[in-house]
Amino acid sequence: MPQKIVKSKIIFEGEIVETIGEVSTEEYERWGANENLKVVGKPVSRIDGYDKVSGSAVYTFDKILQRMVYARTLRSPLPHAKIKRIDISKALKVNGILDVITFQNTEDIDWYWNSSKLFDPHLRYQGDEIACAAAETAELAEQALKLIEVDYDELPFAVNTKKALESDPEKLTGFKKPDLFTYDRGDFSKGISESDESVEDTFTTPVVIHNPTEVHCSTVAWDGGKLTVWDSTQAIFSVRNAVADSLKININDVRVIKKYMGGGFGSKLEAGKYTVMAALLARRLGRPVKIYLDRREMNLAVGNRPDSHQTLKVWGKRDGTITAMSYKSFGAVGAYPQGAAANWPFRTMYKCPNIKVEDQNVFINAGRARAFRAPGHVQGVFALDSIIDDFAYKIGMDPIDLRLKNYAEVDQVFNVPYTSKLLKEAYSAGAQAINWDLRNKIPGSGNGVIKRGIGMASQIWWGGGGPPAHAMLKLERGGYLTVISGTQDIGTGTYTILAQVAAEILEIPMEKIEVILGDTGVGPYAPSSGGSQTIASVAPAVRDASEKMKSKLISAAAAIMEIPEDKIKYNNGEIESIEDPAKKLSIADILKELREESLLMNGSREANPDGYTTNSFGAQFADVSVDTETGKITVNKIAAAHDIGRPMNQKTLENQFHGGILQGLSYALMEERVIDESTGQVVNLNMHDYKIPTVKDVPKIEIIIVSKSDDLVNNVGAKGIGEPAIIPTAGAIANAVYNAIGVRIKSLPITPDKVLNAIYKFN
Amino acid sequence: MREFNFTNPSTLDEASKILKTSDSSSALLAGGTDLLSLIKHEIIDPENLVNIKNLNGFDKIVYRKGEGLKLGALVRISDIAEHQIIKDKFTVLSDAASVIASPQLRNMGTIGGNLCQRPRCWYYREEFDCIRKGGDICYAYLGKNKYHCIVGGGPCYIVHPSDTAVALTALDAKVTIYSNGDYKSIPIQEFFILPEVNYLKENVLEPGEIVTEIFIPEPKADVKSKYIKFMERNAWDFAVVSVASVMNLSNGKISSGKLAWGGVAPVPWQEEQLNQKMSGLSIDDNSVEEFSKSLFENSEPLEHNEYKLILAKNLTKRIIKEIAAD
Repeated sequence: MPQKIVKSKIIFEGEIVETIGEVSTEEYERWGANENLKVVGKPVSRIDGYDKVSGSAVYTFDKILQRMVYARTLRSPLPHAKIKRIDISKALKVNGILDVITFQNTEDIDWYWNSSKLFDPHLRYQGDEIACAAAETAELAEQALKLIEVDYDELPFAVNTKKALESDPEKLTGFKKPDLFTYDRGDFSKGISESDESVEDTFTTPVVIHNPTEVHCSTVAWDGGKLTVWDSTQAIFSVRNAVADSLKININDVRVIKKYMGGGFGSKLEAGKYTVMAALLARRLGRPVKIYLDRREMNLAVGNRPDSHQTLKVWGKRDGTITAMSYKSFGAVGAYPQGAAANWPFRTMYKCPNIKVEDQNVFINAGRARAFRAPGHVQGVFALDSIIDDFAYKIGMDPIDLRLKNYAEVDQVFNVPYTSKLLKEAYSAGAQAINWDLRNKIPGSGNGVIKRGIGMASQIWWGGGGPPAHAMLKLERGGYLTVISGTQDIGTGTYTILAQVAAEILEIPMEKIEVILGDTGVGPYAPSSGGSQTIASVAPAVRDASEKMKSKLISAAAAIMEIPEDKIKYNNGEIESIEDPAKKLSIADILKELREESLLMNGSREANPDGYTTNSFGAQFADVSVDTETGKITVNKIAAAHDIGRPMNQKTLENQFHGGILQGLSYALMEERVIDESTGQVVNLNMHDYKIPTVKDVPKIEIIIVSKSDDLVNNVGAKGIGEPAIIPTAGAIANAVYNAIGVRIKSLPITPDKVLNAIYKFN
Repeated sequence: MREFNFTNPSTLDEASKILKTSDSSSALLAGGTDLLSLIKHEIIDPENLVNIKNLNGFDKIVYRKGEGLKLGALVRISDIAEHQIIKDKFTVLSDAASVIASPQLRNMGTIGGNLCQRPRCWYYREEFDCIRKGGDICYAYLGKNKYHCIVGGGPCYIVHPSDTAVALTALDAKVTIYSNGDYKSIPIQEFFILPEVNYLKENVLEPGEIVTEIFIPEPKADVKSKYIKFMERNAWDFAVVSVASVMNLSNGKISSGKLAWGGVAPVPWQEEQLNQKMSGLSIDDNSVEEFSKSLFENSEPLEHNEYKLILAKNLTKRIIKEIAAD
């Protein structure tokens, strides 16, 4: 049987997950380099490109149903309070208001892993949900919310992570102080005794907000006892499960659909309270409900990248051998349980036998952290690659040579080899693309008002994907193929790449392939789209199904043409007799002969290889100019060289790298959630005060992929690229700024005021 | 946002009367680039919106040689940015207009609205009951004040957000105001007011008064001018600090000059004694450096905005040198 249930290991957003799941046991010949292929790897335009560009694509936010009503949410204006009294009577008198739900008139529904409720009268941050109103229009719902009277017992709060660390956490949120994370390797004191030099510094990173283009939103509709949810989500099955559990209905009575999405970046990996509130209102009203968050709510209440306060120390020999490293950090998870650790790159990126790690999560009275494009890694690499550069400059070594000197050949945490690691190749390609030799050998030694600098940082991430992940094929009259899977395209090009894989194997033109994703009602299970695992999980399942469909077509042709299967070959989408090529059948002919309207085939992701870790690697190089009179940093160029296995589609790959690099540039130079400490309220909740780059801030970007394929990881050789794209950008820019001005800015974002303060205090 | 009356007066007098009779709960609508967001965010709550976009005759740019330039209050920012005579003779103004916000906003926004725009202070814009909204305190004073003023502050610490206002200050423009059936013209320096005079508004306009025209006198022959705006990103941002300068040069010296700054004070900032000091200033590194050191002697930076002092001095040096080199 080519299918089997096995135990397999995947790493998702830093968590090692052991799964028992159904896998394909078929082994397929590896494809070799993309030059051997016809469709995969080519710069194929998105199959949904026209619909999206023309505006005819229907995103979740565009979903409108007959008799639909609108729901909006009342949120806590205070950072910490208990609701003393709530009165919705005036709100219910607004013309056009239909319903208002609060903790008083709904059942208890557990939330945040049972630490709180859907409506919890204990409000732990500015933005916590108090009530939800449904009305004929969104504006009327908003008007009603303003008439809800709430009396609060105001409670002590802390929004500053350092201060919260020194406070009693139970007084801030009611939760116990999270356990300290520790990790030790080797003989730390021996490592120190072997060293000649050491460097130590503290680096801080801000809380930043995902701010996807499409806001969080759902449209929900009941049909009898069955609920359909259109949600802007990265995880249709997670939403289905959370909604079914919350409403205590059968899982298969909930159908979650997400067709197109305007970004998530991790903020849409969990089911949102808003979806369940909409479902409750829809059930009470007997009408479909559309709920959405506005941009202000997006900046308050759908998660963030936690801050970090990382103190790193590196000991090493004068020849560059690192002998010991220590790491101590804390970061704010916000007001509800979540992780804020940033130490993973520290433990694995560079070779070091003796290390010590302490990482403390801290509760504060502000929006909860969530996974955000490479959790922990973006902040971790900034600090790690800064201190590594400091060590290189201290011992007078080329920063790349230092990294090569301490190159980790194996995964140091699990002590197993990597399925592939082409980081050396990435260093060399990136260095060439940025003109590494033009960097200042002595940081800050350039002349003039505008000082130029070059810096780099390394990247490590998982992204090998894994089972369970399934796909179905439906081949229909005329040779039209539909690929169906329970994954979702979150804007990255999944629709297109899965079609390419089927087109490659079955040699069916792309125009004849339709892809249906993002529907729990029709798609077999595939994992949530996070952790850069979508393509590495699902594309192999599509290949498995396609290869099996090909065998089925050959056997059908054998029966129709009355030729043994071994005398038949599959050629360019047609099935022909090897001995008499004139005898052949198209896929359409076969379906016609079989008098079938469709041929079906399932496929599954194979198990991950035992005894290996799959990681992607890379390095980004930044060329910056710093105006020493204004503090303005201009990024002239980013060269990104990465080992990501097989590039599946050159166009969507470059798209995703551009997006990641810009998000990284923004993190390095602009973004920061700012909270007024006297009131606990966020001051920058709009897209003017919360700054992201404009098109005029975009540097030249060069993408170099140093890998052809990772043949051990899966049958298509792909590793994910979503997270690798952003991981080293900020670290590279920070090192380039240091190289330019000779003063290290240790706190992100590196804004002009920090640069000026540093330069003028230094001089 | 609550309901409001939308009125389309056909004459200036009619507009003025609606504004006056309904007192402070009326707002004037011209380009509308900020007014609707002020209403939506409940920073203002007008009963009447008085649309003056349809009034005739206020959207003209008229230049008369020897006299000067007249800009109707409804002239669009993009028209100023692209006007050839303004580019040639009033460069500082076209410079300033061309770096405002984004092309879409420049196409909608008017010069009158740009001068009368409300502050961008994040406490003012967010849900804080701050002093400018009738509350008791300025949260920025002891709070997150990186973008706030370094001179002229107290009891409120906003900076004035207009770019054109800074350019027009350096150009010694006059603002024409329709008031009680008549027109009056005042120097732009008197149009804007400090918080110590009135912290609830940014200019002298009383209910019923409407800015109708900006007049810029003919500049001296061979005048050179420029505007430098420092933003944290390269488009769609307000000035952290900006500087406008108009000067005449002869023999490597400034024979006469004017400077004005944005982003440093609650009004476009100008110091008359600095303008006088500029006369006779040699354009060499040492003299310009010395001059820049004398800027803002009365500044009182807050916890997070001392860098603005460095920035303003450096931009001032830069603008003098760049004008001299042009």
